[in-house]
Amino acid sequence: MLEFAEWLGSTPLSIAIQSRLWLTPLLQTIHIVMIGVVFVSMLSVALRVLGQVRTDEPLAEVWHRFAPWFWTALGVMAGTGVILTISEPVREVSALSFWIKLTLIVIGVASALYFGRTVATGAGVGAVTSVYSGRARVVAVATILLWVAIMFLGRWIAYDVEIWESWHLA
Amino acid sequence: MDLTPLVEAAQNSALSEWMRTSLKAVAIINALHVLAIVTVFGTILIVDLRLLGIPNVRRSFTRMHHELLRWTWGAFGISAITGVLLFMVNAVTYHRNTAFWLKMATIVLAGINMLVFELITAKSAPSWDKGVIPPNAARLAGALSIVLWVAVIVFGRWIGFTKGYDFTIPEDVQFDFSAPAQ
Repeated sequence: MLEFAEWLGSTPLSIAIQSRLWLTPLLQTIHIVMIGVVFVSMLSVALRVLGQVRTDEPLAEVWHRFAPWFWTALGVMAGTGVILTISEPVREVSALSFWIKLTLIVIGVASALYFGRTVATGAGVGAVTSVYSGRARVVAVATILLWVAIMFLGRWIAYDVEIWESWHLA
Repeated sequence: MDLTPLVEAAQNSALSEWMRTSLKAVAIINALHVLAIVTVFGTILIVDLRLLGIPNVRRSFTRMHHELLRWTWGAFGISAITGVLLFMVNAVTYHRNTAFWLKMATIVLAGINMLVFELITAKSAPSWDKGVIPPNAARLAGALSIVLWVAVIVFGRWIGFTKGYDFTIPEDVQFDFSAPAQ
């Protein structure tokens, strides 16, 4: 892969694109800044469940603090992600990382929707000082790991062959 | 100061060689680097926005700042370690890469901004701990911090698009796109 990247990077066509095409790095940068917002929003809520931050606030309030940031940044990520995929479709669809990442995003979004709904109905949210049970803590840790995995897989689209070897889809 | 011998030693080290030959290592270290830097950015962003009064100034600044500090520093430590490792993989290339040095300079500026805030501005924090819009110096530190850390990410991504090709193409070079003679 390194050799391929070096070869591709040295082709005249690639150099011509690099000297003009600011769009891909710009979109990737926006994508990374936004995953920072998405991840840290989820992390804050999860760490609240784990009793690490904002224990002076009810969980529902922590969720309401971060939910708009989470959903807005996720929307921007979806937009930049779609454009990036269109610009290099073969690279994306041939990457196993890409498909696992999409699957995990579906799970992450579904669980965030479910959590938001649960918080809205006031069920299981508890009082200001509530300490959460073992099960809630497991879910919080799982949520952190899910978003960490999504980030790893996103970065690994560029390293798909190295990571998955013969499981790479091309 | 000529860093070339140090940079070459880093690249010729056994560790660097191992990372280059075990390509999984670079992928994993790189992913960790991204995870760490977005955590640094995101946790600092929460503090920066609070300084700017976004979304509000209801919570104690001292408390939220204190809670997040260890996450920010923990993530910064991981970013720095993984960053040094990634640098070692292609040290000679990065050493002459403009985006790399812009990124380093921006991290230094973000550090100076943080030091000025922590050592001077934050001394008055008890008087604007909650329910009050922080003073201009604090708001400026917050705004600067957001701009600088976004710039760190911009230059970081830029490195990936410029490493090894950090030169301008001479005007008189003619490219031949025709198929090579068999």
